[in-house]
Amino acid sequence: MAHVVGPEVVKYACTCGLLKSISSLYFCRYCCQLRCGFCVCHEVDSHFCGKCCENLPSSEARLKKNRCGNCYICPSCQQELSTRIGSKGPSNPEDPKSTPKKMYYLSCLYCRWSSRDVGIPDQSAATGGWPDRENVNANRLQEIIEMYKAMVLAEKQQKEKDKKKQRGKYLSYTDRTGVTAAALRKRIGLPVDIQHSLLKAKPKEPEPAIAKEDVEDLPEELLTKPVNLTEVTTIEQRLLQIDLQPTTVEKLFPVHKQLSIKRSLRCRSCEHNVSKPEYNPNSVKFKIQLFAYYHVPEIRIVTVEPLRAGRPSELIIKFTNPTQHQTTITILSLVLSGDESEVKEETGDQPSLPQEKQPPSLSSQPSSLLSLSSRQPSITIKPRPVSQEVNADVAIPSSKVILPPRDDAAEYDDSGDTHNIQDDPKLVVWRKSNKAFVKLLVTPKQGLALNSEIVAGFTMQHIYTNTIATTVENREPDKHDHNIRVFLTLGNLVGFD
Amino acid sequence: MPIYEALSDKLTVVLDVGSAYTKFGFSGEYAPRCIIRSEVRCKKTNTIRRIIDYENEKDLYDLLVDFVHVLYFKYALFSPKDKPIVVVESLLCPTLFRETLAKVLFEHYEISMLLMLPSHLVGLSTLGAETALVLDVGYFEAVAIPVCHGLPVIHAWQALPLGSQIIHNNLRALLNSDNTGINNLPESVIEDIKVRCCFVTKQKRAAQLSVAKPEITFAPEVKYPIGGSEIITVSGKVREKVYEILYDEDNDHLCLSTMLLDAITKVDIHLRNKLAENILLIGGTVMVPGFKARLKEELHKQLKHDRYKKLKISSFKFHTPPCKENYTAWLGGAIYGATELLSMKALTREKYFKENRLPDWPNMRDNFRTNN
Repeated sequence: MAHVVGPEVVKYACTCGLLKSISSLYFCRYCCQLRCGFCVCHEVDSHFCGKCCENLPSSEARLKKNRCGNCYICPSCQQELSTRIGSKGPSNPEDPKSTPKKMYYLSCLYCRWSSRDVGIPDQSAATGGWPDRENVNANRLQEIIEMYKAMVLAEKQQKEKDKKKQRGKYLSYTDRTGVTAAALRKRIGLPVDIQHSLLKAKPKEPEPAIAKEDVEDLPEELLTKPVNLTEVTTIEQRLLQIDLQPTTVEKLFPVHKQLSIKRSLRCRSCEHNVSKPEYNPNSVKFKIQLFAYYHVPEIRIVTVEPLRAGRPSELIIKFTNPTQHQTTITILSLVLSGDESEVKEETGDQPSLPQEKQPPSLSSQPSSLLSLSSRQPSITIKPRPVSQEVNADVAIPSSKVILPPRDDAAEYDDSGDTHNIQDDPKLVVWRKSNKAFVKLLVTPKQGLALNSEIVAGFTMQHIYTNTIATTVENREPDKHDHNIRVFLTLGNLVGFD
Repeated sequence: MPIYEALSDKLTVVLDVGSAYTKFGFSGEYAPRCIIRSEVRCKKTNTIRRIIDYENEKDLYDLLVDFVHVLYFKYALFSPKDKPIVVVESLLCPTLFRETLAKVLFEHYEISMLLMLPSHLVGLSTLGAETALVLDVGYFEAVAIPVCHGLPVIHAWQALPLGSQIIHNNLRALLNSDNTGINNLPESVIEDIKVRCCFVTKQKRAAQLSVAKPEITFAPEVKYPIGGSEIITVSGKVREKVYEILYDEDNDHLCLSTMLLDAITKVDIHLRNKLAENILLIGGTVMVPGFKARLKEELHKQLKHDRYKKLKISSFKFHTPPCKENYTAWLGGAIYGATELLSMKALTREKYFKENRLPDWPNMRDNFRTNN
């Protein structure tokens, strides 16, 4: 799996036009198309704390501002804080024979910061005893927010009242007869106008801020005292506590650790999940795992001859079939402009409104998905033309390559390959279970500079067998061709012909 | 905050994308959840690039897609789909930037509603006041716009490129002249030196800084370690002189103090005194020790000039916002976002796709009066 972290030599073109290696691509089984991280819709699946590895429900996460209640971060180096046992005073001060009480303090194992540096007294409880500080201006800001809320609400109600007034032709049914509600109230003796509810009691408005003429002067000690850089906080340290932003190290208090999330990915055109992780934070597996690596044949470069401009060089690539069905690979010539979907011209087109779009498998969607009625259908990403330039031609072979299905027990079976596939010996150089080496001829174009990077491309067509639940009558899973554009970075130009 | 309010599903994201730092949080809260640098790892070059260093529209689109992804899935831990968002922006924000941001949010992240708020106006809501002269000194530029009775007086705008960017360049030049061989210090190191060592000095001392034989003793110098091996000296003179560039008048006799007075001059006579007595300073650069005191001294000095004689201003008064100045504009956006204004005035998805543009104050199509 070195190719996961190594240079991206073999890239596939996703349906949105971006080039990615196979480890970054997903394959939507319902649309039978490649998807990548750019063109799928990301959603937050679950929240959990990385340190204590427990899940938090999203409402609780929202309440605690996406921070774990128990775990803290060192304000100095942003690593995790561990709770250590400190001095042990007797639990009952009068009785000297009682068991010593354990006092806890927070300490950072990496930068040696501890809660005692800031003056926080040691706690007797192991977790959850540390004091939380509130914003100094919380009350004032709460008043201001209430004032503005009331103001906007009043404006909104006024607007609605005006709208209603304009609507009715007759204010009340009795207008024409003269026995209006107002006249009736006058006769009885009640006040004519009904008191408007908002005019009754206005909450006390906060005083507007008063500007002061005196401003804080430059502190004199800056001019005389030498600066100790270890006592002044850096910007990153200040921005950990946004409402305080302390300038000196003595005011750096520990901060709660931020939660992490598990993300689920969803294909935008058919609204099915392409990747859904497990709920347990300790598990790295997936509930739904539609990665391209497991559905699309993988291509690796085995050898390539030194490339010279104008001269055909031999390229050997390895195809691996990851599926449980046999597939046939046909190599076609590359078509750079997006031919998979109808690409509108770049000038003057607008993304269509979601209601006009017809997702292909809407009818086959399970009813549970349709009942999420508050969810609008997604907007598909406009495919963009591939930005990679190809400067070498690939000789397209006429024959096809058959790849048998992946057999996990084959390595323990000594009976040998009994697939009996007749191969064109010039095309298929070597074969073993579900892998095959294929030889191609690559000719770099004329007129390239020395040491320029050569990129070759072709379209790989493979037969994909769709294994989604088939109908009762038709037992055969349907197969169809799937085209993928592949780009190979072959190295630098060595010489000229 | 009462528990039931927080549990409601009306969490609105409030975003303030600045040239250097981005403030991101939720409406109704008193501080942003995170303040991070406005930079992102570009997928093509695999280097960290600043958002303001974009080359063209497509490049900006890709950078913003990656940046908004980081904001939502690393810091906010929140799905953007079908949720509203409030964006606080400067009134002088380039159209390309705001249109691309709107495109990214609507087309890629499928938000439901977008409300764009001008930073100078909403900064005032943190005070509960309606009239003030707001000066925003950020990274890229300093912009002063007076706000009278809740309306920004746009024709009185003043902007100068006197932000942290020019201070960093000045610091680089000053350090280069003192120390040898430190030509390419990264931006973050220069910023750290500026924040930890430098300050804005007083007017009397400033006059002595450029004299050959100064009479004052400078502040003590600082030995700043770089890269774990080298140590450069930040002399006391450099510590005090870095910020002087804000008050050096250029060829048009413009500087930070004249900017405020020019803005006041362009406003009605009746409001001039009120504006001078209600000055609000926002933006990260304002948090330097000594900034406000020096600004006040410089304003009084400029008043003595002939061209400002007609302004009969006697005193300048400054507001202190109930928060730190680098997120005051964000807090204003959070206050606005907590009200019903979002449902009344926000741009919905359907409307955006019909028009394919944002309402903008220079655009005449948005400037007609409506009676409803």
